[in-house]
Amino acid sequence: MKPASRFLSVGLLAAGALLAFSGCATNVNTVERAQPLATPDYVSDKRVVTDNTLARKIRVNSVNQATVSGNLLKVQATLENLKDDARTIRYKFEWIDQSGMSVGSPNETWKVITILGRDTATISTVSINPRAVDFILKLSE
Amino acid sequence: MTTLRFKTVLLTGVLAPVALVFSGCQTTNDVRVVDSKGPQALVTSGINSQDWANAADQLVGSLISSGALDKAPSQPAVMAVDRILNNTQLNIDTDLLIKKIRVALTQTGKVAISNTMGLGEHAVVASEASEMDEMMTGKKAKVITPYFTLYAKLIQQRDAINGVTQNTYTFQMSLVNVKTGLTVWEEEREIAKQSKKSTVGW
Repeated sequence: MKPASRFLSVGLLAAGALLAFSGCATNVNTVERAQPLATPDYVSDKRVVTDNTLARKIRVNSVNQATVSGNLLKVQATLENLKDDARTIRYKFEWIDQSGMSVGSPNETWKVITILGRDTATISTVSINPRAVDFILKLSE
Repeated sequence: MTTLRFKTVLLTGVLAPVALVFSGCQTTNDVRVVDSKGPQALVTSGINSQDWANAADQLVGSLISSGALDKAPSQPAVMAVDRILNNTQLNIDTDLLIKKIRVALTQTGKVAISNTMGLGEHAVVASEASEMDEMMTGKKAKVITPYFTLYAKLIQQRDAINGVTQNTYTFQMSLVNVKTGLTVWEEEREIAKQSKKSTVGW
């Protein structure tokens, strides 16, 4: 095969593959208020990354908190899928009391969420224990 | 000499993996302890331990966030557990859901669950003790009427297409004010499970 023909074949194959894969993308377009009325209480967070692959796919954009029912802490995190295709990850919230002790909950479990390509999603939970003051959000693939 | 060394290397290279494989087979006990709420828990087409915990967590979170419990005239709000309908094909104990919700609500300190009425846990010994106390003291025991009742329904929807089966489990829950009969909070959560039928017939 001549070099020109080989180059053409490779080019055509690459273009075909590109077309095929672009068809699989599940990106999401969004529209929202330009000046949001909501005033979230954002939490200044500290992040520990042990899985760089996951960190490159899913980013925690923000964490905000609120107090519900008088004395129970509610935490919400906004996650963003940095890739073009849908990603499924696991997450879990753990609660900590004033003295740094873990506050267990009977319903504290790993949950699964699927985020479409380039989309954002919120995950939230409410502490059932009034002693909870801090939290840890764990993310895993 | 070279041939001997080659044979030795060859034998070592072949025998060592074989020995490793067979030593692995000696373990006959494949039972292991896993975290029922962790990632190692089995994912089935039914409702597993993670699904129950997940549903309970979401329902409790919604109920607490709604502020409905705060409207009771006294705290903690007295609640009785009403009917729990299981309209799924699964033969399950609905306490797998209700107990988790009871535990969570009780731990918030916002709810006290009545054991004298409703389909919740019936405290038989407590009831007998109360009767005995009435008999001994001659005073009628004071039973606190629930301010709220909680009822739930589990529904299963099964869809199948192209060998893929989807079971969607819906957890519906309502909180009713017994004074007015009005539903003051309702929530519905769904968990969908897809399974593909194996093409291998054995």
